[in-house]
Amino acid sequence: MSAVLNPSVGDELPRLVIEAVDAGKMKTMAALLGDSNPIHWDVDTVRELGMGDQPVNQGPNNLGYVMNMLGDWAGGAERIQNIRVRFVDNVFAGDRLEAGGTVTAIGDDGTVECDVWLARDGTHPVLAGKTTVSLA
Amino acid sequence: MTSATQTPTIEELESLVGRQFPGGTYAVEPWRVWLTNDVIGAPQRTDGIAHPMFCYYAAMAGFGISIDEMFTLCYASADDGPMFGECDIQQMRPLKIGATYTVRGKITSAVRKQGERTGTFDIVAFQLEVVAPDGEVSSVVSNSFIFPRRS
Repeated sequence: MSAVLNPSVGDELPRLVIEAVDAGKMKTMAALLGDSNPIHWDVDTVRELGMGDQPVNQGPNNLGYVMNMLGDWAGGAERIQNIRVRFVDNVFAGDRLEAGGTVTAIGDDGTVECDVWLARDGTHPVLAGKTTVSLA
Repeated sequence: MTSATQTPTIEELESLVGRQFPGGTYAVEPWRVWLTNDVIGAPQRTDGIAHPMFCYYAAMAGFGISIDEMFTLCYASADDGPMFGECDIQQMRPLKIGATYTVRGKITSAVRKQGERTGTFDIVAFQLEVVAPDGEVSSVVSNSFIFPRRS
């Protein structure tokens, strides 16, 4: 059952807030993915590369937050038919993130198109894209 | 650290289009789903449906070569500073926890661009299909990499 009965073009999707990205979970994901890139778990490497002093979150994690926001709104992430995104900046451990979106079109078949985004502190974009979600 | 890779000719670059990946399989294992949901803050579902990020994980883990091998195929290495371009995920049918999917795919485009600040770079796009045990395509994942090239 969809949580949304009657969306309109221009509606803002309810935002999802991640209060602080967890460095420990980056380590778990690195192990799950077999991701050998040390920027996700070795602060010394991040410093040597001049990228700051916190581990860098995996890009798929950032996309996962946006999918969670869509799933909360639409009544389940399986309702996401398509999502196309660009990763425009890094997310670091400790960052506060907000995921959100705006309804841009409504189809006759029960699908809804939205612009979606993920932003540090709700203002600095780190991911941007478009999605089609089924509310039928 | 190895030296940067020699820039391919346009002909070499364009010859990549249509190149098939070896392909492989990916099992959506329950323990992996639980840990992934925990990492990204998704609910632990009891209906057997995997988070849509598993479309991406299945495609990237099952297409038959590593990311480093993909870079080599594209006349590059990690030392050249390749960047992830766009990611497009179509979810036709949610992936099911416990099922094993077949992954197949190919390179769909390879183009050279010139930026004022960035100089020469190539964009190589590839498409991966995640196929369910019944033969139906459950998901199509399209990604691109951006390869900076020496002038």
